[in-house]
Amino acid sequence: MAIHRHDNHKSANGFMEWMDARMPVTKVWNEHLAEYIAPKNFNFWYYFGSLAILVLVIQLVTGIFLTMHYKPDAALAFASVEYIMRDVPYGWLVRYMHSTGASAFFVVVYLHMFRGVIYGSHREPREMVWLIGCVIFVALMAEAFMGYLLPWGNMSYWGAQVIISLFDVIPFVGPALTEWIRGDFVISDATLNRFFAFHVILLPLILVALVFLHLVALHHVGSNNPDGIDIYDELDEDGKPKDGIPFHPYYTVKDLVGVCGFLILYMGVIFFFPDFGGIFLEKDNFAPANPLQTPPDIVPLWYFTPFYSILRASTTTLLTFFAYSSVVIGIAAALFTKFKAPIRIGFVAAGVIAAIVFLNSSGKAWGVILMAAAIVCFFLLPWLDRSPVKSIRYRSLPFKIALAIFILAFFILGYLGMNAPTPIKTLLAQVCTCIYFAFFVLMPWFTSIGKTKPLPTRVTMKEEH
Amino acid sequence: MKKITTLIVAFAASAIVSSSTFAAGGSDVALDKVYMNMSDKASLQNGAKLFVNYCLSCHSAEYARYNRVAEDLEIPLHRLKENLMFTTEKEGDLMKTTMPAEDAKEWFGVTPPDLTLVARVRKPDWIYTYLRAFYRDDSSPSGWNNSLFENVAMPHAMYELQGVQKLMGKVDKSEQGALDAHAAQGSDDYTIVGDAKFELVHPGKMTPAEFDTAMADLTSFLTYLGEPAQLKRKTIGVYSIAFVILLMMLCYLLKKEYWRDVH
Amino acid sequence: MAENHVSDASVQIADEKSVEDIKRRRFITGLTAGFGAVGGAVAVTPFVLSMSPSERAKNAGAPVQYDYSKIQNGQMVKVEWRGKPVVLLKRTPEMMEGLNIISDELADVGSEASIQPDYAKNDTRSDPAKPDLLVMEGVCTHLGCSPVEKLAIGPDPQMGDDSQGGFFCPCHGSKFDLAGRVYKNVPATTNMPVPPFKFVDNLIVIGEDDGRA
Repeated sequence: MAIHRHDNHKSANGFMEWMDARMPVTKVWNEHLAEYIAPKNFNFWYYFGSLAILVLVIQLVTGIFLTMHYKPDAALAFASVEYIMRDVPYGWLVRYMHSTGASAFFVVVYLHMFRGVIYGSHREPREMVWLIGCVIFVALMAEAFMGYLLPWGNMSYWGAQVIISLFDVIPFVGPALTEWIRGDFVISDATLNRFFAFHVILLPLILVALVFLHLVALHHVGSNNPDGIDIYDELDEDGKPKDGIPFHPYYTVKDLVGVCGFLILYMGVIFFFPDFGGIFLEKDNFAPANPLQTPPDIVPLWYFTPFYSILRASTTTLLTFFAYSSVVIGIAAALFTKFKAPIRIGFVAAGVIAAIVFLNSSGKAWGVILMAAAIVCFFLLPWLDRSPVKSIRYRSLPFKIALAIFILAFFILGYLGMNAPTPIKTLLAQVCTCIYFAFFVLMPWFTSIGKTKPLPTRVTMKEEH
Repeated sequence: MKKITTLIVAFAASAIVSSSTFAAGGSDVALDKVYMNMSDKASLQNGAKLFVNYCLSCHSAEYARYNRVAEDLEIPLHRLKENLMFTTEKEGDLMKTTMPAEDAKEWFGVTPPDLTLVARVRKPDWIYTYLRAFYRDDSSPSGWNNSLFENVAMPHAMYELQGVQKLMGKVDKSEQGALDAHAAQGSDDYTIVGDAKFELVHPGKMTPAEFDTAMADLTSFLTYLGEPAQLKRKTIGVYSIAFVILLMMLCYLLKKEYWRDVH
Repeated sequence: MAENHVSDASVQIADEKSVEDIKRRRFITGLTAGFGAVGGAVAVTPFVLSMSPSERAKNAGAPVQYDYSKIQNGQMVKVEWRGKPVVLLKRTPEMMEGLNIISDELADVGSEASIQPDYAKNDTRSDPAKPDLLVMEGVCTHLGCSPVEKLAIGPDPQMGDDSQGGFFCPCHGSKFDLAGRVYKNVPATTNMPVPPFKFVDNLIVIGEDDGRA
């Protein structure tokens, strides 16, 4: 039952034989495509990995072509973007592909991460796949942020101004650090030039390298699946997983369908709603950067808004709440866990110390810390999740409820981040910030309670034929 | 699982809808809706003529080229040269103003902004309302004011077309319905622009209705100018997406074919 | 489909399929691949086109005008068009006669291998309506230097003792006559190119000829 096709190929093709003796082309092809065994029950959510690679390629290719016409110079940048939009043949198309591609990248990556969470793809033995993925997410955010300065519109300018100022809160070195990042006392030509260098050279290299490592790690441990069970537990007499199929051709042809579906939506935006109602291309960014005039609402692009909301939500109210809750959590941990007495006293002490710290520090610093912590939380997920099962299909009810509330809070934070703050909206953002962190802090607890469903021995598939 | 998916899709959809209304400037400012037809070349041409005659002397459109405008709007080159261009310019030149920026700054207090992208920064409805909302105000340095953009430095460039308006007051939202009905009856003792009520104290070369149409043409032209590619991008989009739908069907058949192997 | 698979493994291998199955699979794979290839080719097009001259470049390279009535007999002016020097030379009757005298020494007398519009493909390499006016890109066809004019008839250290006037390329010594035709036995092998041009009143428009032949 082994697959012999590539062997036939070898003998039939003298060139490949010559090549394989010198470079492992066939070997790599087989290990990563033709003989990479994937579970046969991948569903809709499994399109987003290959789509992320597609979008990465689109961004690299369109980026190269934009670089041919763009000028990273504060005096010329804005005009050069309009030059691309008007004077370069099909420049508008290349630019819209790139600007829409940036948003598409985050759509795809967020869905890809969500897939990981619901099917437990971050769990043992795939922690490294998940961690590298989280680093990719951070690198992608840096890439997008730096790219957003390049059109040198007024929102580019003020967005960068606000985000770079975050580094001001770092004790002692903050102000010097922000000057060093900007290369000037304000966002200027120097900043634009270095962001250009990072955006077109450094971060793309890092991203491609990380994606490579992501795949190396994945192909080492094998793909998870919607049932969250190990297909290598059930082998046939040849030692192959009964529920495994070669990635190529089965998932290559299946992913082609996903690629087409993606392209339809992607092109729909490019050709019919390129600025997507001001979400993908903000209207204030069609005015050149003006250091003397802040736009009425500084709004980051949508993919940053959940984190931006958390940043803005950090006021004295939130810190006071955090102070009280850390005391409560400390006491609860002392009362309801079964550690030795000194440790339980330690819980209370830690809660009280945390409360004192919260009450005696500035909201500004904590905004930055919380925003960073919100991202760091994702890295910890494999160790916070203590459920005996991986897939949401067999998980207990508390997890499902917690996840639903978290997703809801995440969307609300994202929505609030796109809007100017009002007292009621700030309060809502604070509630959602608490939910956001509670999801991670309480995860060890709610994943270990409740009744999980029994796992099947074989993967389950919808009956298609 | 299905429920979560549905929930997420619903939230994503509502978030997009509500935030795009926000991003589109869905604030409290009362704006008049402009009706534009980007395939109406006559309207765009008229807008171009108004733009060159009334706007370009102070404002530039420095990212746009004359010959591109002529080509897109189907204006013959000789007409472009005779009517729309200064004699010293080449037909492929950028549409720069003749007024030096320093002079403009001295006369108006600010440099008149470039208008190439104004329709992408301000929405068409805003431009359409703004252009019609100038009124006589002797207390302002230019002698003009604007009910949508209070104390704007710009004087009324087209008063000879519109005539001279006097501000009668702001209109409450509660009154709006009654006033609209009144206006619909063809009454001409006042006009409503945005949330302001005007009296025409000195008629211009155009009737109010003609002026509204002219300003809609100008707004259409500025919208075109903000993104010339929009004239053809939708056409390309229809063909491209139709092709990908076809390709998707084939890919689906291909997938079905291979997945017969999988049990 | 042959249902003779040995174990309950997921995948049946193609070898076990009937001939029709294989044919159908090949057909649909080919069809999809063909469609995909067409789509790919179309998708590449905008990228390729984006590298061609932009509107700015076209405007900078737009036709240039020059009032040729100002040029005196025997006088030469250079006009810049697309970053290249375009020679405008109003040749005297003696210069015109000289073109016939040296025709044996030329490599491409009939301009067969050279670049010029059809209306300038003649012995004088000029528009028959104004045969004495030479309009030519002053760019050596060897490696792109700009040849120096040697308008005087008579002995010249570079052009030779019986020179009828011409152009001499200082880089590698190519020689051309007063119609831009290259001499034999020099590094360049073709005549200097003639750009498209047309006359409008007393103006010459270089770079545009409205497609006249």
